[in-house]
Formats: sequence, C-alpha cells, structure tokens
Amino acid sequence: MSKKFRVLVVGLVILTMLLSACATPTAEVVEKVVTQVVKETVIVEGTPQIVEKEVTKLVEVVVTPTPEPAAPQEGPIIITWWSHWANEPAKRTVVEKIKADYMTEHPDVIINLSWWDKNPLREALRATMTAGEGAPDIASDWCRLEEVEAGWCLDLTDALPWENFIPGTELDNNFEALGIPGRWKLNLGASVNMLFYNPDIFEELGIEVPDDFQFTQAEFLDVVKKCSEAGYAGSAASIGNRPYPGVWVVQYPLFNLVGPEQFDLYNSGQQSWDTPEARAALEYSAALRDAGYHPDTFATMTIDEFHVYFHTQRQACFLTIPSWYAGRAFKAVEEGGQDPNWHFGMLRYPLMDGSAAPDTIWVGYESGYHVTSATKYPDVAKDILRFAAQPKYGALWTAVTNIPSAIKYDPETDWPSDELLAELGYPAGVWDWYWVEFNKVYGGLPTGQAPSPLCGDFNDAVISALNEGLPQGLITVDEAVEMLDANLCK
Amino acid sequence: MVTKVGTKGKTVAAPRKPWRKPWGAIALFIGPVMIAYAIFTVYPLLASIYYSFHKIQPIGPGKILYTFVGLENFKALLNDYRFTDFAVPNTLIWGAFGPVIEMITATTLALIVYFKVPFHRFYRTAWFLPQLVSGVIIGLVFRWIFNVDWGLLNVTLRAVGLDSLALNWLGRTDTPLWVVIFVHYWATFGYSFILLLAGLTTIPEELIEAAYIDGATRLQAIRRVLLPLLRPTFVTVLILSFMGKMRAFNVVWVLTGGGPIHRSETVATYVQKRAFNWTSLDLGYPSAMAVVWFGVVMISVGLITRWLRGQAEY
Repeated sequence: MSKKFRVLVVGLVILTMLLSACATPTAEVVEKVVTQVVKETVIVEGTPQIVEKEVTKLVEVVVTPTPEPAAPQEGPIIITWWSHWANEPAKRTVVEKIKADYMTEHPDVIINLSWWDKNPLREALRATMTAGEGAPDIASDWCRLEEVEAGWCLDLTDALPWENFIPGTELDNNFEALGIPGRWKLNLGASVNMLFYNPDIFEELGIEVPDDFQFTQAEFLDVVKKCSEAGYAGSAASIGNRPYPGVWVVQYPLFNLVGPEQFDLYNSGQQSWDTPEARAALEYSAALRDAGYHPDTFATMTIDEFHVYFHTQRQACFLTIPSWYAGRAFKAVEEGGQDPNWHFGMLRYPLMDGSAAPDTIWVGYESGYHVTSATKYPDVAKDILRFAAQPKYGALWTAVTNIPSAIKYDPETDWPSDELLAELGYPAGVWDWYWVEFNKVYGGLPTGQAPSPLCGDFNDAVISALNEGLPQGLITVDEAVEMLDANLCK
Repeated sequence: MVTKVGTKGKTVAAPRKPWRKPWGAIALFIGPVMIAYAIFTVYPLLASIYYSFHKIQPIGPGKILYTFVGLENFKALLNDYRFTDFAVPNTLIWGAFGPVIEMITATTLALIVYFKVPFHRFYRTAWFLPQLVSGVIIGLVFRWIFNVDWGLLNVTLRAVGLDSLALNWLGRTDTPLWVVIFVHYWATFGYSFILLLAGLTTIPEELIEAAYIDGATRLQAIRRVLLPLLRPTFVTVLILSFMGKMRAFNVVWVLTGGGPIHRSETVATYVQKRAFNWTSLDLGYPSAMAVVWFGVVMISVGLITRWLRGQAEY
C-alpha cells in the first residue's frame, strides 16, 4: 500500500473520530433522573423459564419532546395520505370512498391519496420522517414500536371512537406493557387466521369432515399423509417471498395448545421455547413436514403463486391463511383471482392433545392507518380517521373486501345497498357462500390475539428457525429451540 | 518563438510565458462530476464512519439524537454470529471463487472474439447482454429456473436421466450460496469480458504477427505475447470483479434473501437487514458493519494489487 494512500486513510479516520468526539447535532432533549419501577427479566434457577420481576431502580429517562405544531398554510387544507394495498383493488375502493365522502362533507379539505406497495412505503416514510420533510399526514403500515419511540406517531387515544371497534382492537399496536401508553392505529380490517380445505380432493380421497369441523392432531396428520400419498401437498403456503407462512404450521398448534395469553409470550419473544408445550408444537410441525405437509416448491413459491396453487391449480389439500386471502383471491380470474363458483371449505385448528384453547380462534388486524407527527394539521388528520371509524364503513369494508372489519356495524342498518355495491363494481351475492361457510365454522367462537416479535433478533430467529429451517428439515427441533432461546427479547 | 522590439530598437526573444493549466476549463468540466462524487460517495462514506461510533435515535420528525458510544458497535460485531459465522465467511468465499471463475471465462471469451472466430460479432453482443439486465429481474428469472418442480434446470436434468441432480437448489443449506455465486457470475461476466476485449484490441497487431513470423503457434502467441501484455488490464478488471463480489446485493436479495438460515447471507444483505428490517431505527450498528467491511475490501485490494504488480513494456 503506497505511503500516500496510508496517509489518506489514517487522515480520514482521525478526522472522523474528531468529528465524532466533538459537538454532535442535538435536538432538545430533556434528561431526567427519576425513580421508576421497572421490570427486569430473570432466569429462575432450576427452570428454563424467563420470569419478570418488578424491581425499584433509579433510571435515567430520556423524554421525547412533543412535536412542535407547524404554521398552518392559507387556503384549503391539503392532507397527504399514503396507503398500502396498491394491488388490492377492493381495499382501495373502500378507502377511496371514505376519502370522497369526507371531502364532500368538508369542502375545505383536499385529500391527496396515493397508493404504494408495503416495503417502498415504509422506506419512503422512514426517509421523509428522518429528513423532517415530505412526510405525509396519514400513512399505513407504520407506528411499530420503534417508530412510536422515535416520536413519529400521534396518539389517537382521544381521537377515535374506540367504542365502535370490536373488543381487542385496542390491543393492536399497543405498547403499554413496555411502559409506552397510547393508541396509534385505526384498524379497518380484522384478520382471522383460518384453515381452508379442498372439498374436491377430500371427496376423491374419501376424507370426511368432522361434525364439529375439527380434526384431532392425529386425524389431521393422517389426512396430510393421505393427501401426500395421492400426490397432493398438505398445504399450499410457501415462503418464496414472505418471512412468515412457514411459521403458521407451528403457530396454529401452539396457539391451540397453550391459549392466547401464553401464545402471546411465545410469539413476542418473552418466553423460552424450551417447554413441553412449545416442543410439542415444534415436534408436531416436524411430523407434518415429514408427512408431506409442505409443497415441493415451498422454498420458492411466492405468496401470489401459492394462492393460485390452492384455488386454481388445486394441488394442495389445505391452506392456512389469514382472512386477507380474500384481498388476493376474490378478484377477476385473469388477474390471479379464483373462480367464484369454486367453494372451498373451512376447518377449525387441529385439536392438540391437552389443548388449553380447543375452540379459540387466533385473530389479528390488517394494515391500518396512523397520523404522523409531521402533519401540519393534526386535528384534521385525526378527524379523517375518526370519520373512517363509522359503522357504515366497517360494513362497506366487509361487503367489498369480504374481510371481517374491526369496526362494529349493524348488518340491518349499516350494510351498503346493492346499488352502491354495484356502482362500486362489487355486486352483492358473489361471495355469499364464503360467509355462510365462515359463520358455520367460526361463528360464535372465542378469539384471542397475539403481538408480533418485540425485537429484531428474535424476529430473525423466528424467520430462520421456524419459517426456513424447521419446515424444510434443515434443522432439528432442538436446534430450533436453541436458536429461539438464544435470541429472546430482553 | 515570440519576439518583441527592445527599448533600443533591437529585436529580442520575448521570455516564454510559463504554461499554466486552464483551471477554469478544468473546473468547468470536472467540477460537476467531483461535486456529485463528493455528495454521493465521499459524504456517505464519512457519514457512515461517523455513525459507526454512535447510537442513533430519532426523536421526532427531522430530529436525531446521536450518542457517542466509542467502539461499542464494533465490539458487538464480534459477538454477532450472523456476521461472523455467515455473512463474512460467505462473502469471503464469494470474493475468492467468484473473480477466479469470472476472469477465466471472460479472458477465454475475449480471446475467442479477438481472434474473430465465425459469428464473433454476435458473440460480442450476446455475451455482454446479461450486463444490461437489472439484477432484480435476473434474480426473479433464476428463481423460476431453479424451481425444484418445474424449473428449467431440474426439468432438463430429469429429461436426460439425471434425476439425482434435480435438487432443491434454494431450499438446502449447501447449495444456495453457490447458486447466488453462479447467478451473479452469469450477470456480470459480460462486463469483464468487454473490458478485456478492449484491452486486447489495444495491443499492436504487429507484435502478434512478429510472433507468428518467428514460428509461434496461436497458443504460444496467446501465452507469450497477448496475456503478458494484457496484464495491466487484467489486474484492473480482476480488482473490479473482486470489489463487485464483496458488495454483491441485489441478486442475493431477490433470489434467496440471504436464506435459508443465513446460508447465502452476505455482508451487504445483512447490513440491509440490520439497517431497515430489524425493529430498530439505529443506524450505528449497521454503519459499523459497513465500515469494517470497507476496511477489509480496501486492504484486500491493496494486497491483490501488490501481489499482481507487474509492468508490461512494449
């Protein structure tokens, strides 16, 4: 290496260290030393369990300053709204209707609504919020823990009519357990994790559906073996371009086995996986794998492709999928949708031996909407979301997208008219069979929900171990447990 | 020679003005490029080095808190198994094998075209074409090609009776890395090929003719005349190829995402994940990773240059 080059490199490093050690750009930060009760996680001796204890400690708390209100502009109020679901026309229709209705009632407000794919939307949001310029007033797929901690989201606790939402909605995007109060998200859609089956294959193989729509774990395993021996995949779900479909084969049994409260701890990385229950779920998923549960193209089939694999190519007996299936499948066949005249069936989760929640259904929420702290019109932005939280839009959401709504509505009074649905391009009646089946199988069942992993290390371990490794036989159950426990959220 | 009339009427030679570089013109032509270079290359580099010594916490729109943490981010790298056990070794393997395969292929193909074999004009275009296709598109297409069920590769293997080789190329632990190395090589060898071909065409033809006159065969002419004279170009292309492999990203990201279980993870993909997909907005740690890797690449380039140093004179 030439002398000049060495000198240049050393000079660069010294310059950077000097810059680092000197004044750093700071914002207004108020540091307080307060006495606070904090939760500490400890390993209880003699067991693999991580237990939370409350201890009194002096902690330094960095208080995030409240965003300063910006100077409002003259003339009509212009609200910028960035939304996910660029390629889901049904959801777009509902949100566009909300926007149009709001603008009709508020002529002084102009809403610029633009449609994105999820990842580019998140990247653009992060860039604009970091820069402090160009960020929208309303955005979707935002306000996860790190964004709330960054002061990038406005609290909607007092802005939305929470009584309009189904029970449990307030738990979504809720970080109170971590000491961060507030509610940050408007949910239009609820998500029910379902299990579909192909009735044609069942008939071909002589498989009968139980009267209570629920196989035991042994029966379910037998069905999968029968499907595999006949040349079908057990389930269509694959991981080509998503980090989670492979995890469902563990999550469904575990949820059924331990119930929603315990599942919450496992799923969020707060609970060791070296327990009999977790191992039972992992072992069962491995048995399903060995029985032929996953398709041969598991590693490469994308989310769009595995929908088609199930409803059009019909090469799988089952499909585990949340109710956003309708967003991808209930559209024109030439756009990748399914034939509306093909009626698949639904089942409850396999009943695990010793199940603590035999009938409980795992629910969650779709992408929702947030108000960013960059908005110049927080009151108007919040009012738009409040407007969207009306029961009639909950009913419209379900009528158009065929996905359950997080907003309560009265089917008698709030359901959109046939004329409106026809005008929007979603004539009534096409998918009624789907709701008949849904209510038959899942109607009236208790529900429970669980948050996502709370830290990046555990999320990555879940992807590696449960989405990629275990379903493909690349690691053993012991190795999966070791990988998960090594990355628990602290 | 400039002359002027002296004070006593004598004609004398005027002193020659020292030649000055036309700095104005230089600044005009080079300035925009240098400004862009400073903004998009130098500044991000310095910023990354700066970030690597800090924990970065956004605290509002446009507001960021930088907390100096010294070498903490670098120390954390040593305990990060994803970095030490997967990203670094995978990228080093790629950096070792990738350029070798590429240079052998590119040199061979450049010589083929140089000697004007039949259809050499077609080959020159065809072999450069992959370079023109986006890495994202290449990743998507090759994901179909490597599909275990109906992918072109496995269908062909089964058709010729090689069923045992029809593997789940992207779903094992031992094959994904070699798949991405191969796909990236396919996408980039055309660049090395065209540079080497350009280098060959600058070699005076008289030297080759003289070798033939002296009784050299074509192979001897290649070995004793062309390759030694091609050496400077070869070294440059090799270094460019090596640097490209050490920061390969888009093909890997689309084809495997670094999986399964980090078996095809590279430093570039892992930096991307830590920076943008890790439930954290702190860029300090991924910046430390990037800075370390920058150092590794620069040192490696220096070592390669020193090892291959040699001058061709003709």
